[in-house]
Amino acid sequence: MARQELLPGQKRFSIGAAAADVGLVFWFIFSLFPIAWMLLLALKNDQQQTTTYFQFSPTWSNFATVVSDKGTQMTSVDFKASLITSLINCGGAVIVSLVIGIPAAYAAGRWRYRGSEDLMFQMLSFRFAPELMVIVPLFVIYNQIGLFDTKVGMIWVLQLVTMPLVVWILRSYFQDLPEDLEQAALLDGYTRKRAFLMVALPIVRPGIAAAALLAFIFAWNNYVFPLILADTNAGTVTVAITKFLGGGGQAYYNLTAAAAIIAALPPLILALTIQRYLVRGLSFGAVKA
Amino acid sequence: MATVSISDLRKAFGKTKAVDGISVDIANGEFFVILGPSGAGKTTTLKSVAGLIDVDGGAVTIGGTDVTRVEPYHRNVAMAFESYALYPQKTVSENLASPLKSGRTGKYNESQRTERIDQVTTTLGINHLLKRFPRELSNGQRQRVALGRVLVRPADIYLLDEPLSHLDAKLRAAMRAELKQLGAMSNTTTLYVTHDYQEALALGDRIAVMRKGRLVQIGTPQQIWRRPADTFVARALGQPEINLLDGVVDDGRIRLGDGSFDVPVPRDARCDRGDRVRVGLRPCDIHVVDANADRSAIHGRVVLAERLGRNVELTVDVAGAELIVLASGREGVGEGAQVGLTVADSDIHVFAAGDGDTPRLGPVERESALEATQ
Repeated sequence: MARQELLPGQKRFSIGAAAADVGLVFWFIFSLFPIAWMLLLALKNDQQQTTTYFQFSPTWSNFATVVSDKGTQMTSVDFKASLITSLINCGGAVIVSLVIGIPAAYAAGRWRYRGSEDLMFQMLSFRFAPELMVIVPLFVIYNQIGLFDTKVGMIWVLQLVTMPLVVWILRSYFQDLPEDLEQAALLDGYTRKRAFLMVALPIVRPGIAAAALLAFIFAWNNYVFPLILADTNAGTVTVAITKFLGGGGQAYYNLTAAAAIIAALPPLILALTIQRYLVRGLSFGAVKA
Repeated sequence: MATVSISDLRKAFGKTKAVDGISVDIANGEFFVILGPSGAGKTTTLKSVAGLIDVDGGAVTIGGTDVTRVEPYHRNVAMAFESYALYPQKTVSENLASPLKSGRTGKYNESQRTERIDQVTTTLGINHLLKRFPRELSNGQRQRVALGRVLVRPADIYLLDEPLSHLDAKLRAAMRAELKQLGAMSNTTTLYVTHDYQEALALGDRIAVMRKGRLVQIGTPQQIWRRPADTFVARALGQPEINLLDGVVDDGRIRLGDGSFDVPVPRDARCDRGDRVRVGLRPCDIHVVDANADRSAIHGRVVLAERLGRNVELTVDVAGAELIVLASGREGVGEGAQVGLTVADSDIHVFAAGDGDTPRLGPVERESALEATQ
């Protein structure tokens, strides 16, 4: 058979590429499986949760139980309250991180001063050590200064997670920003502070959105800090989920799964709302390419 | 309007001395051009006057006041950046309104602002672009907006950093002519940085030629062109570049090439018999004559003839030395032709012998004193 001429952009069929595609499809299914499994589990009743795979009588009652009930027979967790606590803790941590982190990132991105690199490195080094390593001293300190199981205490400790993220992400945004823009504002008659607020800040807004989203997700999913440093008052949703596993009594896997799905919703909603700010290239046209 | 005086300005970035002891006095209303290759320290000098750079040493005085340690927003200078530096999130009209809204360039109400913006955009031919964002403009339009942001406000000094460099050749020539005609420009002391010698010669009341952080020569376009202080200045101006030939002084003549041709020693040149020198001849100062008619002419053979628009660039082989000659094209000489070349005595530049940049042998009008321009 004569070889057909190909149109521009048209590719010849190849076995290697087809095999790669099939492989990717399998990998995709495999990586989605935990989520699919969780969804299925959340729809099973107590009897079927450990005895069935794909065939069961689905029910929404688990979600209702998780949200409405102030705990099941085995647990005493107020899931709704922990959801709100999580929002306060993580929202608070992200806001504090942005308020302090944005100016810090700007300073770190714009000026080099004695020890500036060391300072940035030190901030990142919070993330080197496993949280478990610092949790015992933190627990002792929190107990002594009365921050144990307080929202202020949680916001403070979640800071360790979100601040380095915000500063490091935004620093690179500020570094990419041409200095000429702020200098132009200075010559227009604006002070450095106003030049920062008027020129630099609006341009890095996509970066701020991205950093805030990432920081929120990291704070939201943090488990070790709220597990050790909080209880009923400042306990977050990550800890509340595990309470459904029963702690020695009957494990409600179906309720755990339902709670996990609900807990995943706020970051998901936040990500979807913030998405339109995540466009880059906003500074295009400001300076010559 | 104000005088500007820079004295012994120094700024180093790491080990690189960007500006290495510059002193210059600029008169009120003067159009002062700093000319130099990239990396010469032109922009650093300009930003030092603007206050955007913490200088290592020296002083900047504007209108008689030492402003060396004064914040940029207190200096009342306007600057057009080489990169345009337009605010990307603001429209053209918001960009132009920005200096009027800061409150440090005078108080304006809404209608006064509109009037000023309208005036400047009409002058620059960009008033149909007011609603657009910088990303929606061509480079030429961005350039005009950047210039507009300078002109829209009253300022003691205008600082223009390569304002025409990113335009295509045609637009650049047009804008160059426009710049010269702008009323505001002729009334306000202007520092203009460029690497284009034509812009410098066309626009400047005076030109400072800069190299490696130092000023090599300051003078009027005429002085810089007629009496370059050294071979660097001579080479910086003119396209094609000036011809530099090694020679030996002998009996009122300078023998060039293998010694078989010579040029007279110009009257003001300071050199003695037996001195080794370099002779500079600008391609446009060399005239092509009939090889047989003029016995005193330098004789050579045309190796290459390239037509460049209205001129023809000839490469002429003269006794082993290659001379670039800019001919009008009417001589009708082609490749391989024997030609005679003449140069006026006053167009012969004599420099010290050696490699690299060597000084002129003869009087150089170096001036640093304040000079009124009008």
